[in-house]
Amino acid sequence: MKLILNYIRKETWSPYVAGVLLGLVGIAAVWASNSLLGASGAFENIAGLIGKAVAPAAFDNLYFNFIMPPGITYGVMMLVGLFFGGMLGAATSGTLKWGKKDAANSDEQWKRIFGPQTWKRWALAFVGAIVLEYAAGIAGGCTSGLAISGGMLLAPAAFLFIAGMFASGIITALLIYRGRY
Amino acid sequence: MTSLILALVFGGGFVFALNKAGLTKYHKIVNVFRFTDMAVLQFMMTALVVSMLGLYGLRAVGLIQFPNIPATYIAGNVIGGLIFGIGMALTGY
Repeated sequence: MKLILNYIRKETWSPYVAGVLLGLVGIAAVWASNSLLGASGAFENIAGLIGKAVAPAAFDNLYFNFIMPPGITYGVMMLVGLFFGGMLGAATSGTLKWGKKDAANSDEQWKRIFGPQTWKRWALAFVGAIVLEYAAGIAGGCTSGLAISGGMLLAPAAFLFIAGMFASGIITALLIYRGRY
Repeated sequence: MTSLILALVFGGGFVFALNKAGLTKYHKIVNVFRFTDMAVLQFMMTALVVSMLGLYGLRAVGLIQFPNIPATYIAGNVIGGLIFGIGMALTGY
């Protein structure tokens, strides 16, 4: 028991142990509520909710009416859980940086490549997140919702997505890390 | 209502695992694309194998039914994946 508690306090687990944990959570999600883990769809549910209130005409289309209906869905609740799960993980390993100075930009490797400015980190995260969410909308899911959840049901879509993701990810990383690869 | 609370718990467990594997950090995500740190793949593939075995096993004994399997439309999945990879390498999501 003490061994397990000490392991929980470690900042970085072996990826194999964490992978087993995620696999078990994935099984439990299907078993208990017949649904898959996912994150990106919830943003579209919320966007639809806001969009319908602000500009109903623009959001009255096939996508927001049928494919991604707005509302407080299962996925939105999961998104809230994601946030607190991440906090719990950081808190147990003692790396929770709530209100600390370097909390917004603390990745050494990022600073080495792009510079130490915090606004740059935020701007790139914002732009990148738009790219991510748009792509997830096209593909029908993100890393969690399609690649992992679809993959564990052996859905062909998941493996096509993983192939595309790694192909362009490797190329993008090559371009960013030119000469420093 | 119970299903919404379950969603909270599963979401929490999911990111707890991600966090402990270090995948909530930029350098872990980018380094898999630079082939210097394979934690993302080790994590993802372990999760896939465990849940595949569990899910197909449970279905074989009739305890669960599969939810809707994500639709396959080749162009969408591949193009979406290609754009997603760019965002992933940029933000470290």
